[in-house]
Amino acid sequence: MLEMEAVQQRGFRNVYRDGQCIGFQIAYRSTYYRGISLSLSKGFRVLVDGEQFPPEAITIAYEGETYTQDEMAKAGHVQWNLDEPVILNIAKPGGLKLGVHEVTVNWSHRISYIGTMPGVPEQTPAAEAGGPGPTGATLEFGGGNNTRKLVLVR
Amino acid sequence: MKMTRKEFLQTAAVVAGAIALPGTAASAPLARQRGMDEGFPASERKGPKRGVSIYSYEHEFNVSATLEDCLMELSDLATPGTKIGLEVLANAHVKNYPHPSTAWIDDWYKMLDRYDIIPVEYGHWVDTKLYSETQTIDTKEGVEMLIADIKLASRLGFTRARTKVGMQGGASIAVQTPADNFFEIIKGALETAQKHNVRMLTEIHVPTSLKGPTMDKYMDFITKENTNPWFALNIDFSVFQTRMGPQLGDHQASATGGQAPHAPPSWMGKLPLAVPEDMIPLIPYIHCCHAKFNDMTDACEETTIPYPEVIKVLVDHGYNGYMMSEYEGIDKLQGGAWPAVRKQHVMMKRLLGEA
Repeated sequence: MLEMEAVQQRGFRNVYRDGQCIGFQIAYRSTYYRGISLSLSKGFRVLVDGEQFPPEAITIAYEGETYTQDEMAKAGHVQWNLDEPVILNIAKPGGLKLGVHEVTVNWSHRISYIGTMPGVPEQTPAAEAGGPGPTGATLEFGGGNNTRKLVLVR
Repeated sequence: MKMTRKEFLQTAAVVAGAIALPGTAASAPLARQRGMDEGFPASERKGPKRGVSIYSYEHEFNVSATLEDCLMELSDLATPGTKIGLEVLANAHVKNYPHPSTAWIDDWYKMLDRYDIIPVEYGHWVDTKLYSETQTIDTKEGVEMLIADIKLASRLGFTRARTKVGMQGGASIAVQTPADNFFEIIKGALETAQKHNVRMLTEIHVPTSLKGPTMDKYMDFITKENTNPWFALNIDFSVFQTRMGPQLGDHQASATGGQAPHAPPSWMGKLPLAVPEDMIPLIPYIHCCHAKFNDMTDACEETTIPYPEVIKVLVDHGYNGYMMSEYEGIDKLQGGAWPAVRKQHVMMKRLLGEA
């Protein structure tokens, strides 16, 4: 089963390679009412405790494959089904400290069946350090900025 | 996995019902043919029939409700001795879409039989914005995606597809225009649709009215290319909405730490966009309806859309298809969809003279 919130707590942990902590991972579920091709994503942004991570620091793992943001934009025939979260891998040498963190994931996607509305922003801007970010974008169906307090244990 | 004889016969009956003879669209006049094959089994009752799009349960799906839970809920709505119609969203409800396993499909048919369900409409998308906001995919790629969906819909027993191809914006918020290669993509799949007994239906939904430039484009294409029923219409009752209610501002608000609905109601245009009588000349082209609704009282009346008038037009003018519930009340985010759909079906039973 998945947690109700878009930002999942289950899966939140630091990531190690060759004994070194190289970053952390966050599981994110789409709260859109349908699954979509990965290429429809407008990209992921992550803010943790006021620290904004650059898009290049984030890779996306889904069903055994890992994508850079650029690769994800081309993955037109990979279906992100609703019953599986994506795992965001965020590079950060040393990872996050144990304990409580405020985590914001920004995500949005294109909608083919609605023509762009003039004068309405296309996407909620990614949350900036210090706050959850302004609203005002169109039709993000539960995307945009999603913030949740998560507890890291390892 | 070996099938029992009973299971085989049940599966065969559903499949036989889905592969009805194609309608005589090529020579039929445009007026309603009472005998026009709707693609349902011969034993199907006449008149409008009740169904549910399990999109209504989106907030709980995968969190506290499985597909089987949704289908079980539907069986509580079926009149004893008859089946309740089902609409799914392919990309949401078909496990491992677009490649469900044969074991999953076997289980699918068992559930349909167990829960008194007839599959009616398969909701799917041709994502023309697959790689870009402004440049649509090639027509060839779009046709391939569409044909794959028609075949999967047919394999799962559906006789209608709610086919959403891309749109582009117009000068104002309320004008949604089919994308440049919308009709070319549809043309490429018409033969497949007829062969597989799946009617591709474009949904007429706010902010599109039943009269206006977008509707003209659809009807021009349908009549000039003589596509009915293989490309035709689904009417979403949102077009008849007369007042706003406690409804989602756009299709979904995030209850999960994100922002509240932000599309302003003005995007819907001036209410009502259409009146039920506007459907009368369109009845020959309507092969499914979305019974959109926003707010049910405990007396089981809907407060934003004139259901008695809508259903009367459908009954009086020979509509023999299904009406698929689509709930968009704001309490959907707090578990409100389940009682709302039940109340709506009490209302529809009364309006159809079933209760």
